[in-house]
Amino acid sequence: MTSFTIKINGKTHGPTEVRDDLSMNDYLREYLGMTGTKFGCGAAQCLACAVIVDDPDGTSRTSPTCVVPAIAFNGQSIRTVEGHAKDGELSELQRAFVTHFSFQCGYCTAGFVNEGQVLLERLAKQPIARGDLDKTIQDSLNGHICRCTGYVKYHEAIRDVVLANDQRYLTKA
Amino acid sequence: MSVTRREFVKLVTSSGIVLSLSRLSDAAEPTFRTRETLPGSAAFNPSAMGKGRVDGMAKVTGAKLYASDFRAADLPGWPAATSHALLLRANDATRRYEGLDLSKLEPGMRPTVVVTEADVKRAGIRVPDFYKGDLFCPVGTTPIYLGQPVALLIFETFDAYDRARVVLRDNPPYKFGATTGPAVLPPYGSNRFTRVAGATAEAPDVFSPLLAGWASPIGYKKAEIPLWAQAKQRGNTNARATFYGEEIRAELAKADPRTLVLDRNFTTQSIDPMFLEPESGIAWYDAGKKALEIVIGVQSPGEAGETLADLFGEARGAFKPAQINAHFAYIGGGFGGRDHTPLPMYVALAAMFYPGHAVRLAHDRYQQFQGGIKRHAFKMRTVMSFDRASGKMRAMAADHQLDGGGLANFSINVADVAAGSATGIYDVPKADITTVAVHSRGVTAGSMRGYGTLQAMTALEVLVDEAATQLKIDPIELRRRNALPTNGRTNFGNTYEGVVRTPEILDKLEAHAIWRDRAAEKGKASSGWAVGTGVACVTKDFGTGADCTLARVEIAPDGTISIDSDVVEMGTAIGTALANRAAYSLGAVSTRVSVARTDAYDALGLVKSYDPYTITQAQQDVAARNPRWVPEISSPSSASVGAHIGTHGANEAARILFRYGLWPAALDLWGLAHSDPRAQQWAKAKWAGGKLTFPALPPLALADVAAKAHARKGVTGVMVHGFNRWAWASATFSIDGDAWTADIDALAVRRGGGEFIRLNRRAVKFPPTVFNRFSTAYTAAAGSLVRVEIERATGNLRIAKAYTVVECGSVLVPEAVEGQMEGAFAMAVGYTLLENLPLYEDGPGNGRWNLGQYVLARASDVPAGTLDTEILPPLRPDDHPKGMAEVVMIPVVPAILAAINDAIGKRFDTLPVTPSMLKGATA
Repeated sequence: MTSFTIKINGKTHGPTEVRDDLSMNDYLREYLGMTGTKFGCGAAQCLACAVIVDDPDGTSRTSPTCVVPAIAFNGQSIRTVEGHAKDGELSELQRAFVTHFSFQCGYCTAGFVNEGQVLLERLAKQPIARGDLDKTIQDSLNGHICRCTGYVKYHEAIRDVVLANDQRYLTKA
Repeated sequence: MSVTRREFVKLVTSSGIVLSLSRLSDAAEPTFRTRETLPGSAAFNPSAMGKGRVDGMAKVTGAKLYASDFRAADLPGWPAATSHALLLRANDATRRYEGLDLSKLEPGMRPTVVVTEADVKRAGIRVPDFYKGDLFCPVGTTPIYLGQPVALLIFETFDAYDRARVVLRDNPPYKFGATTGPAVLPPYGSNRFTRVAGATAEAPDVFSPLLAGWASPIGYKKAEIPLWAQAKQRGNTNARATFYGEEIRAELAKADPRTLVLDRNFTTQSIDPMFLEPESGIAWYDAGKKALEIVIGVQSPGEAGETLADLFGEARGAFKPAQINAHFAYIGGGFGGRDHTPLPMYVALAAMFYPGHAVRLAHDRYQQFQGGIKRHAFKMRTVMSFDRASGKMRAMAADHQLDGGGLANFSINVADVAAGSATGIYDVPKADITTVAVHSRGVTAGSMRGYGTLQAMTALEVLVDEAATQLKIDPIELRRRNALPTNGRTNFGNTYEGVVRTPEILDKLEAHAIWRDRAAEKGKASSGWAVGTGVACVTKDFGTGADCTLARVEIAPDGTISIDSDVVEMGTAIGTALANRAAYSLGAVSTRVSVARTDAYDALGLVKSYDPYTITQAQQDVAARNPRWVPEISSPSSASVGAHIGTHGANEAARILFRYGLWPAALDLWGLAHSDPRAQQWAKAKWAGGKLTFPALPPLALADVAAKAHARKGVTGVMVHGFNRWAWASATFSIDGDAWTADIDALAVRRGGGEFIRLNRRAVKFPPTVFNRFSTAYTAAAGSLVRVEIERATGNLRIAKAYTVVECGSVLVPEAVEGQMEGAFAMAVGYTLLENLPLYEDGPGNGRWNLGQYVLARASDVPAGTLDTEILPPLRPDDHPKGMAEVVMIPVVPAILAAINDAIGKRFDTLPVTPSMLKGATA
């Protein structure tokens, strides 16, 4: 057993004693009841379980939770799908996913929300050329599995968010 | 004999168990409804304006929606803690099972309860017929399939469960003894479908399944080869089918220089539906109240509830609930694999063997691969003849063998549906199709998107593509010459309902740039690459021949609309489709849509008896005299029934709500006497911008009309049931002095704020029982073009460009239809090129399969912009919607195979086609 502390969506949890081999996914779902983060494969292949890790250097990345022990997140700050909407207002990306019919069954959606958000934040800091946008989105989503949709409407939603604010996300031509 | 739904369950079980089936939200969690329904319940509400899904808000914010999201603490009235169950499954089906060795489990990870076959037998628990076979492999016998459950372990805490799960995966605890070889069991079923057309298109058939019935074998050889009756032209159905079938085969075997005969084999692989949410459920047996509470997510709520009641119907006292309250959650994907799935039985067993505790049983992905329903592997031989001069198809014989795995499940039904699709879009005057679904030690196969037609039409389209090459006829032109016309007879002898739109699909394919530019693109191939283009066109049934719709539509005085329906949301946006379809009549999108509800229609007082598929006409005629009787009450959400069947009830209810609630209220507001001639012209009224309009009268706001309807005690709520056996049942009802005839068989209405009152039907017409001989009458057509690029050195294949066109009647949610087309394309790419499950020891039944070994299409396999989609507009504004979620997957597969052949000159006859196979073919 190891004591660990974590900040989730801005709220500190712990210190809590957990088994060393308890996965972060089970910590979220079984200990905290935060089931917005899904369990898909347990092998880090589908990334339905992905959360955002906000690193101290100001960068953010996604991480699977199904194969990573909870204690590996000790002292870290993460964001889950439950944390994107503020005061009932969806994030820009969440809105785009809804209006684009990006998901169908919705079980993979949490992972795509997190991955897309990380991409948008990265592009805001490091804009790219318009010509690289589709490949960049595709590469970003490629770790995630969606069995329902064919990925098209996820891709289009992210692209439309970027193009709607191209000054922010894209380099000048 | 007529019984209510609840009484039916009692009769089935001889148990007196009361079964309650309800939407999880309403039964268990008061706040759930506000999270599951978007319109009107949140600040951001695009679906209210017709943009977005009704469940969009909940899904994009991670709300608790799915069965796997719920723990006991989430469910009011349940125990606070959740215990966890682990279902152990045999990883060997060739040796005798001799029990468990749990010694690897240290203290702290040992189960509190172990349930085995002996325990189940002692408890008097029986296996429902559909799942026939031991629930757990008895000690001393050989498992009848890989993945057969052997024991259910129940752990007090999550940590104990979690630790034990990993230890037992790494150290399988099964003790096996003598090698016996796999169990040999008889096939699940076999049929023969033989049709010989008359001399002309107008002439009656000489012989067909519709005329003579479905033929079946008189026995089997080696537990897999059907033995057919001796041929007799004037014998019984079986003998006559053999007679005409042998005639067809003799004709195909005869050498005739005027005829091209192709004799081809095609095999398809087993795959996993791979819905992203592994199956799970949570249950609690309150022994004091003798009530079993269970939360599950399935495509067939009615069936699941009845199965549970059957399971415990004859159980001993402590194991026999007096009441089962089944609650149904959203499902994280289905694709057929959650229709008639056995897992709910094990969830319920876990609770019954640990009374007083809430017990959760959840597959991890290894377990889902090991125990979840699979797509059937097929072996097919197809022989087909073409007239060399005209290209017309003359005759066809095909033999299909399906590997059904360990339990029967839907195997024979899949085989029959595959046979119904064996002639595809074509007019084949002579066809003899045999099927056999066999038992094997593989994981059980059952329903999955395509339901056998994917396999059968892939084999057919590959053969037709080769025929076009050999006949030197353009592949699209060959299809056009042979396409079944409207009112043409299928290989079962019936006609399709409505207009056959295959010619339009073919025209679209022919005109598309991918097809027009195929030669130029081939010529532009880079060095080391081969480029090819392929085409295919199919038609796919939707419906099962015994489909039901239950709906309840209500309007509040403020104009807000609510809909309840028994249809299940799998991700197809059926909730949004319900809201949109009702909005045609009611002028606004529903503010509340509750799906998977089978408990909101008591006022109809429905009763049923007999099996709707085997009932005789005489039985139906007698039963129908009871105005409460219907052939079936609720049916699964499968077979692409959502748009056509699932929304039909809401549409019919909304029409009545408008006609007898809103319209009379509008007349009052306009000051028109009900004797005014315009009062009968309600069909001329239109909704525009949320207001009811009528020529030369001021528009009326929906809220004003609704308030008036309530004030005048008009109809404000309508509850209907409909039944479809390749045609709708219809009946006439007296409403406000009118005779209202509609495609429903039961109706109740509410006036003002009152209770629902049942209205007796008259002149009911149920579709004749002979329609049970159809394979299908409802069909939608789709075609695909695919251009591939193959790197010769590696065999790597890229989909360069693709196009799918579908006709699906009136489209309720265009974005959802597009989404289905895109998702089907990705699934088809995976099926053709990536996905494969070995059937036996090396396959998922060994418990060691997960993603990684099992490869699915990812975003890079189907880049955005690759696929063009087109949806043909309906022929008439009132065309009913057609099920399309399955058909759009099918043509992609043979089109890829045709494109591969066009690129490298190799026709593959087995799936999947891997890079190593492609590399070998290009070497």
